[in-house]
Amino acid sequence: MKLFTKYNRVNITATIFVFVIGSIGFYLVLHYVLVKQLDDSLRAEQQEITGFVTQHNELPFIQNTRHQWIEIKPSAAPAIAARPHTVFLYNAREDESEPVRQLVFPIKANGAFYTVTVNKSETETEELLKLIILVTVSMIFLTLLFNYFINRRLIRRLWQPFYNTIAAIRDYRLQQPLKLRHEPIEEIGLLNDSLNAMTERINRDYLALRSLTENASHEMQTPLAVIHLKVESLLQTMERDERSVQQLMAIEDATQKLSKLHQSLLLLTKLENRQFLPNEQVNLTAVIQSWLEEKREMLGSKNIGLIVDCDQVVLPFHQHLAEILVGNLLNNAIRYTPAGGSIKITLSTKQLVITNSAANGSLDTEKLFQRFYKAGDSTEGTGLGLAIVQEICLLAGFHISYHYTASKHAFTIRFS
Amino acid sequence: MKLLIIEDERDLNQSITDFLAAAGYRCEPVFTYRDALEKIDCNTYDCIILDIMLPGGSGLSLLRYLKQDKKNDGVIIISARGELEDKLEGLQLGADDYLTKPFHLSELSMRVAAILRRKNFNGQAVITAGMIEIDTAGKTVHVQQQPVELTQKEFQLLLFFVINRNRVLSKNAIARHLWGDDMDYASSYDFIYSHIKNLRKKIQAAGGPDYIRSVYGEGYKMMVS
Repeated sequence: MKLFTKYNRVNITATIFVFVIGSIGFYLVLHYVLVKQLDDSLRAEQQEITGFVTQHNELPFIQNTRHQWIEIKPSAAPAIAARPHTVFLYNAREDESEPVRQLVFPIKANGAFYTVTVNKSETETEELLKLIILVTVSMIFLTLLFNYFINRRLIRRLWQPFYNTIAAIRDYRLQQPLKLRHEPIEEIGLLNDSLNAMTERINRDYLALRSLTENASHEMQTPLAVIHLKVESLLQTMERDERSVQQLMAIEDATQKLSKLHQSLLLLTKLENRQFLPNEQVNLTAVIQSWLEEKREMLGSKNIGLIVDCDQVVLPFHQHLAEILVGNLLNNAIRYTPAGGSIKITLSTKQLVITNSAANGSLDTEKLFQRFYKAGDSTEGTGLGLAIVQEICLLAGFHISYHYTASKHAFTIRFS
Repeated sequence: MKLLIIEDERDLNQSITDFLAAAGYRCEPVFTYRDALEKIDCNTYDCIILDIMLPGGSGLSLLRYLKQDKKNDGVIIISARGELEDKLEGLQLGADDYLTKPFHLSELSMRVAAILRRKNFNGQAVITAGMIEIDTAGKTVHVQQQPVELTQKEFQLLLFFVINRNRVLSKNAIARHLWGDDMDYASSYDFIYSHIKNLRKKIQAAGGPDYIRSVYGEGYKMMVS
């Protein structure tokens, strides 16, 4: 729900509630005032009649009008005076019963008792009330309508800078701090300034971290290179001594492994820092085919059956990452397929599935993509291959899953 | 053939210089940006081996300077930074090749030889080692004028041996040369064995001697006097 919708809902509900309560109150007050006015004029009439009778000791001549009429009836005993009240009387002229305000009081003239009833029609009052209520309701409606449109326009304009900021954040990349405009509205201005400052800080930290990893990489690779080259040189001079040669080769292997491990960790860091963008059109089919071309003889030597079913697939990705992704998955497949087993590669526009025969049952689906996970007693590889694959998938917006069925490992990467 | 080795790490520089000198090149080692600049100004080299991070400046700006001057020296960048961008930038600036540390000296020697062939013989060089003749352009091999049919990997392997003749090559170095960095070396060792077996068979079948011998099962060496 949009903030505006939420705000509007609350606003309109409150407005209607207030208007309804207000209208009821207004009606009651107005009604009270009008009735009081009627009552006052009834009492004025009473005083007039009483005054006349006291002065002249006879009944006055009464001129009735359409809205006020007085009845004087002789009575045996003095009637009990009552407060003004409303009764419904049939009005022959209008052919309907209408509310009438009535005041009954006794008088005594010429020694006889009379009951006087003063009637005043409330129709006028009712009509006035109706009119007033009609005006009030229309005002409420108009107010709400105008309120809605004004709010809609105004709020949309007011929020525009906010939406601009959101759009900028959505496109934010680590490499570049945000440069949001300073807005005259205080809140938005504060938000933009804070975001600018924050991304500036993030960027600085990021650059520092990046140069640290780069320098660390350089500083570590250089001694490794020295070891590596010295071993290679030693190998030439120690050629006659079998034990030395074996030890030197072991050192060389270890150096190589360490260097590779380090490069893999560096790659993972870069992937996590989103230093690659999947913004190239990559022909995945070509990547797979060229990899297979490169490793064909190796597949042959392990007597691995290969089934390839690839559609032409070109998708937005990163060339280098595509090569690493395919390489890591297929290298694993070759490494863990027992001699005489088979590897199946299926590529469609929706997904890439790599299936290979398993030697030792299912892999641990919980830990599979964790760093330094190695299946069973395996000592080969860095244990980072699948972690890298997963990070690459994450970066490209792919989804990777693993299934084990019918003694086969299956890795599925869904694009989209 | 004159080479300039620009590398600030003295141990590395010395190893490279020794190795390439043993391969028959005249090597001049320098350790700083300023010395390198001086050397480049005064001399012409067939190939320059260039480290990127140098005290006093970047190897990339040396490269830029070199190419501005329209010098035709071949350049191999050796860097500890395996960053793709660095690699692309280096190659865009006109470097001929790029090696990430740590590398094998035999691999470096291979790359140097390739650049020199390209530069000096327009890639038309025929390399001979004993009775073996390799036409690097046509990718054909003759032993005593007899053509030998080799697969692509066998050809790569033979060239690697010939360039690094009389040296012990570890299986690790061979694997890395044939399949690159991303290869899982341990599992490729058996495969190297069968490749070398085939290669030896083919050379002997064409009447050549058995040049390649195993070094305690850990490495190989091509013996050519």
